[in-house]
Amino acid sequence: MLGYIGRRILATIPVMAVVGLFVFSLLYFAPGDPAAIIAGDQATPDDVARIRASLGLDRPFLVRFGEWSWQILHGDLGTSIFTNLPVTTMIGQRVQPTVSLMLVTLVLAIVVAVPLGVVAAWKAGSLIDRLVMGLAVLGFSVPVFVVGYVLAYVFALELGWLPVQGYTPIEQGLWPWFSNLILPAVTLGLVYIALIARVTRATMLDVLSQDYVRTARAKGLGQGPVLFIHALKNAAVPIVTVIGIGIALLIGGAVVTETVFAIPGLGRLTVDAILRRDYPVIQGVVLLFSFVYVLVNLAIDLFYTLLDPRIRY
Amino acid sequence: MDRRTFLKGSAAIGLAAPQIARPAVAQGAKVLRFVPQANLANFDPIWGTQYVVRNAGTLVWDLLYGVDAQLKPQRQMVESEEVSGDHLTWTFRLRPGLKFHDGEPVLSKDVVASLTRWMARDPLGLMIRAIQDDLAAVDDRTFRWRLKKPFPKLLYALGKTNAPMALIMPERIAKTDPFTQITEYVGSGPMTFVRNEWVPGARAVFQKFADYKPRDEPNSWLAGGKRILVDRVEWVIMPDAATASAALQNGEVDWWENPISDLVPLLRKNANLNVDIADPLGNVGSFRMNHLYPPFDNPKIRQAVLTAMSQEDYMRAIVGDDDSLWKKLPGFFTPGTPLFSDAGGAQVGKGDIKLGQKLLKEAGYKGEPVVCVVAQDQPITKAQGDITADLLKQMGFNVDFVATDWGTTGTRRASKAPPNQGGWNMFHTWHAGADCINPAGYPAVRASGDKAWFGWPNVPPVEAAIAEWFDAADPAAEKAAIDKVNAAACEGVVYVPTGFFLGYQAWRKNVSGIVKGPIPFTWGVSKA
Repeated sequence: MLGYIGRRILATIPVMAVVGLFVFSLLYFAPGDPAAIIAGDQATPDDVARIRASLGLDRPFLVRFGEWSWQILHGDLGTSIFTNLPVTTMIGQRVQPTVSLMLVTLVLAIVVAVPLGVVAAWKAGSLIDRLVMGLAVLGFSVPVFVVGYVLAYVFALELGWLPVQGYTPIEQGLWPWFSNLILPAVTLGLVYIALIARVTRATMLDVLSQDYVRTARAKGLGQGPVLFIHALKNAAVPIVTVIGIGIALLIGGAVVTETVFAIPGLGRLTVDAILRRDYPVIQGVVLLFSFVYVLVNLAIDLFYTLLDPRIRY
Repeated sequence: MDRRTFLKGSAAIGLAAPQIARPAVAQGAKVLRFVPQANLANFDPIWGTQYVVRNAGTLVWDLLYGVDAQLKPQRQMVESEEVSGDHLTWTFRLRPGLKFHDGEPVLSKDVVASLTRWMARDPLGLMIRAIQDDLAAVDDRTFRWRLKKPFPKLLYALGKTNAPMALIMPERIAKTDPFTQITEYVGSGPMTFVRNEWVPGARAVFQKFADYKPRDEPNSWLAGGKRILVDRVEWVIMPDAATASAALQNGEVDWWENPISDLVPLLRKNANLNVDIADPLGNVGSFRMNHLYPPFDNPKIRQAVLTAMSQEDYMRAIVGDDDSLWKKLPGFFTPGTPLFSDAGGAQVGKGDIKLGQKLLKEAGYKGEPVVCVVAQDQPITKAQGDITADLLKQMGFNVDFVATDWGTTGTRRASKAPPNQGGWNMFHTWHAGADCINPAGYPAVRASGDKAWFGWPNVPPVEAAIAEWFDAADPAAEKAAIDKVNAAACEGVVYVPTGFFLGYQAWRKNVSGIVKGPIPFTWGVSKA
């Protein structure tokens, strides 16, 4: 298995190289000029040209790509065109809020969605099942920003229970940290809950019709152990797969959620960088996201061994 | 490896969470939380000329002069000045006791270096540099400026609100190439910049500078005593207006620079909030036509558009139904300011489509496509773009509507290529009214052809009248020159002014001292 992990990690190198080339090319050929944005309205074309030259943006594609690749190979993601800060510093400033948001969302989604899916499958065709599936459709259908605004209005403005916006680092206290994340996590988690609940229900329906479940019941086991120990464990592989795929959804959803709740995370950093054409930051964040996604997939593959002892690498 | 081995391995993996530097604020410290108009993405007010950078810059760096609410430059870091009889030599003396944030005294050599860097980037500064004979330190507190010809607007240039402002930095920082960003933020102003708490896109923090020596006079815009009455100012960046509104209502922030007009009725209902006009000098909406290519190389076609467009349509699209927020603008200069002029502006924005169609026909429009570039991510440009597209279609133009973002517009508008090869025929923008009070910091009204602002209008009578204004020695002569500028700019349609509009600011009632002005002035603002 160690060999397998090593091979998978090595396989990330060409993946990252392709992602890097793709992103760099896309940004190179996309319209927009950071020098014009920096120079502002008062600038003459000569001013813009001088700023472009001072930033090295007037050099040929291959020279710039080569230099950037060389930096990456040395663990340097470059320096932001606008802030003059190292991209690694900017990412470092934003990692904790995004990771916190994603973790709380993930935990919330799993804790809510899996039991809902199990119960819906157990009571298939009943009112409970229809209610759960109806909520799932709602979760898919309502845009993230609408949910965010409604939650903020009710729980922050009307009831005053939670803050509207912002992020408090966990070092400043567990409750301040958590209270800033509740509304964003619920907002972001709704789609995720809907997705996991539907997949859990479908997989459980299949498993519940298997012979070993009938055997377990014939042995006199209660519904709880049958559903959550015997059936759920065997239904878990597709559910875990969906959870893994859903992390990409979370990354995408974080952009909107972080904007609505003014959380200084990686999603907002990405959008700001795109709007300003801050190429080194965009490239750095996209590479990071790609790397995380590759690692998540690896973790999911390894997690299968926990759920199904027959799986070996 | 089996699942037990995997479990053991994964248990050892911990989450290393990098920390955001956020030192605990001293108990009892007064913190003013402010939502600025935009993200402070860089902090070099000479290198980057965005308004948000200028606004932050005024907290951290001081000026030699500062304009007051009457738009007159007043002494700020300068104690006295002398001008020779021929108006060619200016000798300035700095106030005693001025200090930079690193504790070093502000010396003449710092001023000389700062002005040299500023002159390389500022339109007015470039004019001064063109007639400069010498700028040198005489002693630690005295410096001398010798010119080849008189420049009556010198003090105004040093104290104006337009970016880039002539902010004073230490010599070692000011010697940075003006086209390269500075890396040190050692200021001369009333607040220090807390660099280790700066999270671009999220927050910027400023602390009261204990050694700052405010002037004795009461503050008035950039002039007078800049007394900071709070310990710390935190800029909280909120890209979403609804979130900023909710945060203000919930008491999570104290002051919001630019609430959108749609949310103002909601804010007004909240008993804990004040809502008022932010800047009495407001904004001038505009769209520019490319004078280099058909159809807008034809002045008659430009005049047809100017006559057919309705400023009311544009203003309602921008500010909604609140009539107190806008007025028609028969020209190019900010209403309510000394040089405002309506000379020659009778035909501007009449909204007479039929007359416009008639003029267009007479002008011989041949059906060339009009590439109309509209940034969709800026509410003001989007609203104007939609109105323009409809107007042009009604007039009979063949419209190629290019919906894009501001970043792309910023690049495309600089292109002199033909419209069908990456260039453009028309784009929308707006100007701060503070920039439109006279031609000094107003490149959009210049009409010097290739050297003019985007669209490259070439209208010699406009340039001649602007030259008269620069040389004008008294207010009457200035006003006469501006009347000529306005009339000639209307005649040649340098650009199309879509109207004058105001914006709001909002703050919690426990905050006092907020004034109306082109910059959110923090001095004099206190929090209960």
